[in-house]
Amino acid sequence: MTERIPTDWAGAAMQRRIRKRYAAERRFRLMGLLAVLLSAGFLAFLLITIGIKGLPGLTGTFLAGSDATDPELAGIWGAFKGSLLTVGVTLAIAFPVGVLTAVYLEEYAPRNRWTDVIEVSINNLAAVPSIIFGLLGLAVFLNFMHLPRSAPLVGGITLALMTMPVIVIAGRNAVKSVPPSIRDAALGVGASRIQVVFHHVLPLALPGILTGTIIGMARALGETAPLLMIGMRAFIASPPGGITDPATVLPVQIFLWSDEVSHGFVEKTSAAIIVLLAFLLAMNGVAIYLRNKFERRW
Amino acid sequence: MNAEATNPKMTARGVSVYYGAKQAVKDVSIDVSKEHVTAFIGPSGCGKSTFLRAFNRMNDTIPGARVEGAIALDGEDIHSSGMDVVQLRARVGMVFQKPNPFPKSIYENVAYGPRIHGLAAGKADLDAIVEKSLRRAGLWDEVKDRLKESGTALSGGQQQRLCIARAIAVDPEVILMDEPASALDPIATAKIEELIHELRGRYAIVIVTHNMQQAARVSQKTAFFHLGELVEYGETSEIFTNPKVPRTKDYITGRYG
Repeated sequence: MTERIPTDWAGAAMQRRIRKRYAAERRFRLMGLLAVLLSAGFLAFLLITIGIKGLPGLTGTFLAGSDATDPELAGIWGAFKGSLLTVGVTLAIAFPVGVLTAVYLEEYAPRNRWTDVIEVSINNLAAVPSIIFGLLGLAVFLNFMHLPRSAPLVGGITLALMTMPVIVIAGRNAVKSVPPSIRDAALGVGASRIQVVFHHVLPLALPGILTGTIIGMARALGETAPLLMIGMRAFIASPPGGITDPATVLPVQIFLWSDEVSHGFVEKTSAAIIVLLAFLLAMNGVAIYLRNKFERRW
Repeated sequence: MNAEATNPKMTARGVSVYYGAKQAVKDVSIDVSKEHVTAFIGPSGCGKSTFLRAFNRMNDTIPGARVEGAIALDGEDIHSSGMDVVQLRARVGMVFQKPNPFPKSIYENVAYGPRIHGLAAGKADLDAIVEKSLRRAGLWDEVKDRLKESGTALSGGQQQRLCIARAIAVDPEVILMDEPASALDPIATAKIEELIHELRGRYAIVIVTHNMQQAARVSQKTAFFHLGELVEYGETSEIFTNPKVPRTKDYITGRYG
């Protein structure tokens, strides 16, 4: 075996390698920056154009009123209240059912073919296009169960079906990420299974569950197609008084106004988009606040 | 083989544990008495921890695990329908290999067991139980001024003593310790061993360890396991100085393991 020549760290070949490495770093940084600018640019463009068109429309009459044929009188309060009621119904159904499903599947259900089938079904359900849920709502809740048409009750239930799989998936992951040593510790001092779940597993999984829930709720809030199917596109001139009154929601209102021929509705559409975005941001803010608050506990 | 003590707290007769098709513990019979600390030693994977977990039915929580044979606490079969598993685990407490305090305050860690079993007559009583348990676990002086702080903020050795205090708080009859010092430094280990000495006689203590010196230091009875079988069980001094079975001797002298 011949003696190896000692590495020449200062040699030309080595210098070339170093230069190539630095060039690769620069190229990557540039590409990353461009990617960020591209997505941020679109967002800025959207916010600016909407802001220019919509901000003048954010008047007192607009914020307090309901839909009208005259753009000067049309307001967003009716649709906003409709959204609140609808999302409220969705949350009231999807959260408890979703969390119970997640806990049951993770902590109680035996691992067998049936639970595998259920798991795959739930994962698929999360990917089903929302229009399908709309058709389901139309067929089951309106035509079969004869619940009131155009009502936040039916809209909320339909969106709950859509949101539930998201909560279940997020909830299962959150429950799964609670370390088994905590379960052992609780079982070891004689906690029953339900005590293990409610005293230890759920509190520790809550931040993750809440994150999933808010993501699902934000999606439900922005959903349009399934609500069109169950008649929440009607012209509603007064805000709904309860969950069984006819109502519309923010994204549907935006969709309806964007279809209007009258020029005055262009401003109203943009103003409504601002209201919807503000609503979404507020919801995300609450989610982040809740998550941090619960996370501090451990 | 059989190994009977004079005054057994817990008895195991012909116990086998399976994980699916694999047999981890093979036909083990042993008595555990209250007067002694009993050590289970043996090389990794010899079934000693699995066997220990059979004493408070922690194997129930592992899917596919199956226990055969009879284990009794004060003569009562722990698998009988009259034995409630929740109560069994309160009477037979456990300390785990990795310190696993709840992510709650020090106070809540110790108070949790008495609270769920309704052992305290009121707030003052609960305070007294918490103090007594922390004192017995040798932790009171270190934490008495910060009971509200999180149990997970303590050092590893303190966490393990907190776990011991948590087990003591429900007033168990038996304490099972699964390599309680293997994740700790030598000083924390010495404190745990000292603690085991102090707790001896008050509780029947069974400790699993892969550290032979530790077994020699803390126990009066030692059981040597190998490949799922109980090879030899007897006085610790006998096992370490004069083992009767060649396999034990080979392990003790470091020929394998």
